[in-house]
Amino acid sequence: MAVTAAALGDALRAIVGAEHRREGGAPVDGVVPRWTAAPAGIEQAAALVALAHEERLAVVPRGSGAALELGHPPARVDLVLEMRGLDAVLEHSPADLTVSVQAGCTAGVLAAHLAGHRQTLPLDPPGWTARSLGGIAATQASGPLRQRYGTMRDLLLGVRFAQADGVLTWGGAKVVKSVSGYDVPKLMVGALGTLGVLLELTLRLHPAPDYEATWLAGFRTPAHAQECVAALLDSTVQTNRLEILDGRVLAACSLPVTAVALAVSIGTVEPAVRAQEGLVRAIVQRAQGTVQTMGASFWKTYDRALAGFDGVVLRIGSVPARLVETLGAVQALLPGAAVAGAAGLGALRALVTHADATALRAPLERLRATVAEVGGGVIIERGPRALRERIDPWGPVPPPALAVMRAIKTEFDPRAVLNPGRFVGGL
Amino acid sequence: MALSASVVTGLQRLLGPGGVVLTPEGRLTYESDMLTLYKGLPDIVVLPTSTAEVQTVVRICRAARVPVVPRGSGTGLIGGATAPLGGVMVSLTRMTQILELDLVNRCATVQPGLINLWLTNAVRERGWFFAPDPSSQMVSSIGGNVATNAGGPHCLKYGITTNHVLGLEIVTGTGEVVSVGGKAADRPGYDLTGTMVGNEGTFGLVTAITVRLLHLPEAVKTALASFASLVEASEAVSAIIAAGIIPAALEMLDDAMIGAINAAVGKVYPDGAGAVLLIELDGPLAEVEAQAERVAAICRERNALMVTVARDEAERALLWKGRKEAAGAVGRITAAYLLQDAVVPRSKLPQIMREMVAISKRHNLLFANVFHAGDGNLHPLICYDDRKPGELERAQQANEELLHACIALGGSVSGEHGIGMDKAKNLPLQYADADLNFMFRLRRVFDPDGLMNPTKLLPSHPACGEGFRPSRPTLPAGTWV
Repeated sequence: MAVTAAALGDALRAIVGAEHRREGGAPVDGVVPRWTAAPAGIEQAAALVALAHEERLAVVPRGSGAALELGHPPARVDLVLEMRGLDAVLEHSPADLTVSVQAGCTAGVLAAHLAGHRQTLPLDPPGWTARSLGGIAATQASGPLRQRYGTMRDLLLGVRFAQADGVLTWGGAKVVKSVSGYDVPKLMVGALGTLGVLLELTLRLHPAPDYEATWLAGFRTPAHAQECVAALLDSTVQTNRLEILDGRVLAACSLPVTAVALAVSIGTVEPAVRAQEGLVRAIVQRAQGTVQTMGASFWKTYDRALAGFDGVVLRIGSVPARLVETLGAVQALLPGAAVAGAAGLGALRALVTHADATALRAPLERLRATVAEVGGGVIIERGPRALRERIDPWGPVPPPALAVMRAIKTEFDPRAVLNPGRFVGGL
Repeated sequence: MALSASVVTGLQRLLGPGGVVLTPEGRLTYESDMLTLYKGLPDIVVLPTSTAEVQTVVRICRAARVPVVPRGSGTGLIGGATAPLGGVMVSLTRMTQILELDLVNRCATVQPGLINLWLTNAVRERGWFFAPDPSSQMVSSIGGNVATNAGGPHCLKYGITTNHVLGLEIVTGTGEVVSVGGKAADRPGYDLTGTMVGNEGTFGLVTAITVRLLHLPEAVKTALASFASLVEASEAVSAIIAAGIIPAALEMLDDAMIGAINAAVGKVYPDGAGAVLLIELDGPLAEVEAQAERVAAICRERNALMVTVARDEAERALLWKGRKEAAGAVGRITAAYLLQDAVVPRSKLPQIMREMVAISKRHNLLFANVFHAGDGNLHPLICYDDRKPGELERAQQANEELLHACIALGGSVSGEHGIGMDKAKNLPLQYADADLNFMFRLRRVFDPDGLMNPTKLLPSHPACGEGFRPSRPTLPAGTWV
């Protein structure tokens, strides 16, 4: 039932209190919201969503705000749910290697909590310490550690969310192994909050390695690096990170510049790290690379270089056997772009400076066509609104799969109140 | 439900005489999976050989409103591949090809009928393996593994089936062929691959699967530790995990099981122990050696009666032989049993073991345990004599009590077998009405007509029916409503 703006404002205040509701608020992708509300608990969050549903308000959950430029520009932003206050570590069970957190809890806060127990949640997308775990889940953001530990989809055991009409719903389990009913957590990861507002996450933890070492291997050509990646994957070396960095990313990290480099880390007991170092060195040398031992600060430097990049970020999904083609395509189509990413999985990022829609449209289409040969795609992970108004930030999704996605969205959010218009196909 | 002649003729014309089973004695083979408490004879069994044939089968069934029940090897343990409402059973045992091996990209694409172990056999010599290893892996199909999101002993370290599935081709309940995911990373859109794994055929029939392959580890070390009691062995399990060690497998057997196995395959486990832990570590050699020492020390600190480490492959195979023959060996101690698959948080193992002993005594039934202790996934075999009146009912009662105890400790009704017909009624223990309703609606998206493996996975419950409205948040009394 439509009501006056004043009545709506009163209703929001009645849910969260006057000090946690304001008109306007920080813009989302250039759009100033009509209201911003900061729920103090999941019941308040659910009530806000229910109210929005009743009044057909577009709801945009906001965590750290690091990924607001992912997706189509929002058509409407009526109510921003400020999730930063929902930041509690609810239950950490060290003996079970599980933790439950509220969605606004940042990965950095959780890491500090876990460090004393020598445990870790191995999710490290660029700028991860400041990012909310709900945001990392909604955007399926990943970093170097996915080489060994996978991504949020592999670590999210259970999830509590508010459906579009505000109904609090739980999917999954709180134990590390469960096949009870449909895998609802998987549906929520990467859905950009379009099927529910994520409120609580139960996550699988890993023991922190006793000891870790990192090496940087420089190569003359991408082909040599790819040969090295193939040899490492086809060996018993158990890397926990295997990143490829081109010369521009090396420069951004203030490292000696080679055409391309691999950053390899291994984490386990110290004797095993030492033993595997020998294997790594031999494999790198066979691919005519040079090895340099890096300090533990390397990964912080690398993270800062990627997170601090000011420009358009493309997420390229390819395969490890196509590094040469993918790097070559980026260099040919987007001269000046920097490339880095998980070489062992073919999950790369291209960092593009000074790109406007006119300059980027054709190269992006060609890049998408190149990776489509192996079924991959290119997503604009970050970029100015003007760019994403003119270029589909997600790229094509095969029509049969998109039809299923549309049917799911229509089933669970028929009034299109959850982050409307921002996901693939304008869902 | 009798099939109309036009459906039968349509299927016969599509698949030829070799692709259709119509005789009662032929169909009898297909009336249940390994959980024979649930039986249901399909009206016809079809054996398609291609995605296109599967699609046509589904379209024929949809037009005639006939239930469709997929079946792989029939080794499920939940009453999943059975046709309680009759209809068409689709056996995928003729779709067994490896469509693509792509070792440089660490993946393979296979047809659903391919036997799990055959995939590893095809790549092992080149140094690779497919990680999900249900105990049935010698006979179970990968399509069945995907349907139930199967686990296995080594899932402790490597994760269950879903962690190894990169993409699927599925014929949905609407008769569409949909390809999702694939070998390339990070596709845009909802994770339909992850959403579909474990759907038990209720979304449709999987016709191709792209899976991740892993490189074989440098070293494998297997140790055996025996303890006076299940509770002490459980405490050792918790201590190993708490020490930051995730073994590849961490299996526990109790005295009843040890006795049965020793009687069946020779003395592989020490007599007189209340429980043994079978601990397998794999990975880089130096890591395995360091961790094996640590694990042995932890077991001794926890009052292990004896700790032995296999010195070579032959000894290792012997330690595993008992575990792998467990299901068969149990025939020596009981005529029939119920197999529970519930999970507890692993720190709660000592507690649930105490409760299990109490339940066993209360009902005067033998429980034989062989289970995945490392992830808290119980597998007690609740033994009963089906010739004695009332004993099955008592076993079922004990089974339910144990399940409730697991849920009360924060667990899950199934760790790796799935839900099927057997556990659908138990889902409301774990999920509220709103949660069940969400799952029901998800199913309806894929199968709007309710024809895909009906009666499985979701309970007969108001929240799993049309028209149900979960209770919504109470909005503050105000001006706008």
